[in-house]
Amino acid sequence: MGTFKAAVINEIIKIYKKKKVIVAVIISLFAIVMGQLMVTVVNTGFGLRAVSGTQFPILVLSLFSRTILPFFTTLVVIDVFSGEFSHNTMKITMTRPITRIKLFTAKVSAVAFFVLVNLIIVMLLSMLAGILFNSDSITEMGVFRVLLAYIVTLIPVVAFALIIVFLANIFKSGTTVFFISVIIFIAFNAITIAFPRYSSLFITSMFDWHSLWNVNTFQISKILREFFIILGCAIMFYTAGYYLFDKRDL
Amino acid sequence: METVLKVVGVTKKYNNGRGIFDINLDVQRGDIFGFLGPNGAGKTTAMKIMTGLMSADSGDVEIFGHSITKEFEKAMRKVGCIIETAESYTYLSAYENLKLFSRFYDDVDNNRIDEVLELTGILKYKKEKVKNFSLGMKQRLGIAAAILSRPELVILDEPLNGLDVQGMIEIRKLIKLLAETEKTTFFISSHLIHDVELTCDRIGILYNGRLVNVDSKENILKNYASLENYYVSEVGKNGNI
Repeated sequence: MGTFKAAVINEIIKIYKKKKVIVAVIISLFAIVMGQLMVTVVNTGFGLRAVSGTQFPILVLSLFSRTILPFFTTLVVIDVFSGEFSHNTMKITMTRPITRIKLFTAKVSAVAFFVLVNLIIVMLLSMLAGILFNSDSITEMGVFRVLLAYIVTLIPVVAFALIIVFLANIFKSGTTVFFISVIIFIAFNAITIAFPRYSSLFITSMFDWHSLWNVNTFQISKILREFFIILGCAIMFYTAGYYLFDKRDL
Repeated sequence: METVLKVVGVTKKYNNGRGIFDINLDVQRGDIFGFLGPNGAGKTTAMKIMTGLMSADSGDVEIFGHSITKEFEKAMRKVGCIIETAESYTYLSAYENLKLFSRFYDDVDNNRIDEVLELTGILKYKKEKVKNFSLGMKQRLGIAAAILSRPELVILDEPLNGLDVQGMIEIRKLIKLLAETEKTTFFISSHLIHDVELTCDRIGILYNGRLVNVDSKENILKNYASLENYYVSEVGKNGNI
């Protein structure tokens, strides 16, 4: 357990020492500011209330979870796996007293931590924006729903990250992994639009599953069904990714 | 004598037909073992298999009695190594690099990090990013990382690569110092006969993926004028020189 903890801390430090994280936060902040400006324009220009104080963070999440978050998650996964393989730095950790299953799990955990922190930062910033511009409509229940929506979004995004992890352990080049990830992302979204009946089979359609949690009455069966589909996807790609990681000769 | 590293019938064949074949080897505690062979002989392949970076087609490696394939953590607990090239995270400082590695061990604190940086002569560059380091400085950092945890076995693949003459002398002295004072066992590969002759006390010759012979330097120099003569003779017996 000691070496696993050490590996998780190391992987998190390595992720946060890269400039990509700062860029991710800046772009997220920029997206929130732009979103708030648009909402303010609609509110003042057309005399409408586009969104309330606690609806604004959900609006941001809907856009964020489908664009910026998967994009930066993909880049971080590529850094953590393909980057280390191509820069020959993977062997630094692999020659320390830690098994490959622990190292692989530590890397996946660090990516999940990155996604969680990113979600929390965006949630806090968007809530702050919501409070500043629509403070009259803030309720405790609204804040709870925002919190819940952001937390549950972690699950499908991590499952998506595991697909990228799998790809990063197949292809040697980070660029190849990135382009295949983009193609998969676009293809999944296109298939979801073309065949909406089968949308629940594709992980990218789950990025907005937080909407299932943001209701007055939970649809338990639907939540469970989607959860098990995400879980199944995560288990499959975690296992396949680890198999390739373990068998890889450096 | 305690066997710290035992290689039993290790074979690894690449698609191009090259590789290493039926390597059997014992390294005893306190040895400075020189693994000598020309470029492409299979030294790095053998060392990668010894440290678990690569899997063998057959055979096994035991370090301190633990199989590298079945008990990796136990086998590597008292091992430090540089394999192929001394790599480090270039976006981190020398200190940050060593701090990352120190987390895998219970008894490595900041004082120990300073100590190994001092031993390898790069303490004054402690806070500098590795991306600004020369090849020699990176090599010194690699050696610092390898000895950080006070390992009982240090496996070094071409450790003097990239070092200037002064650096070579210092690292050679460091290897001898650790072998004498801390009874550290070294397994060092090199294609430079002179280096091996100056540093090691037992020598194994690897040629075309096969271990041609293993003997002590003392014995070799009793029978041959120099290690080079011995090398030429041993490789010649295999009909390849």
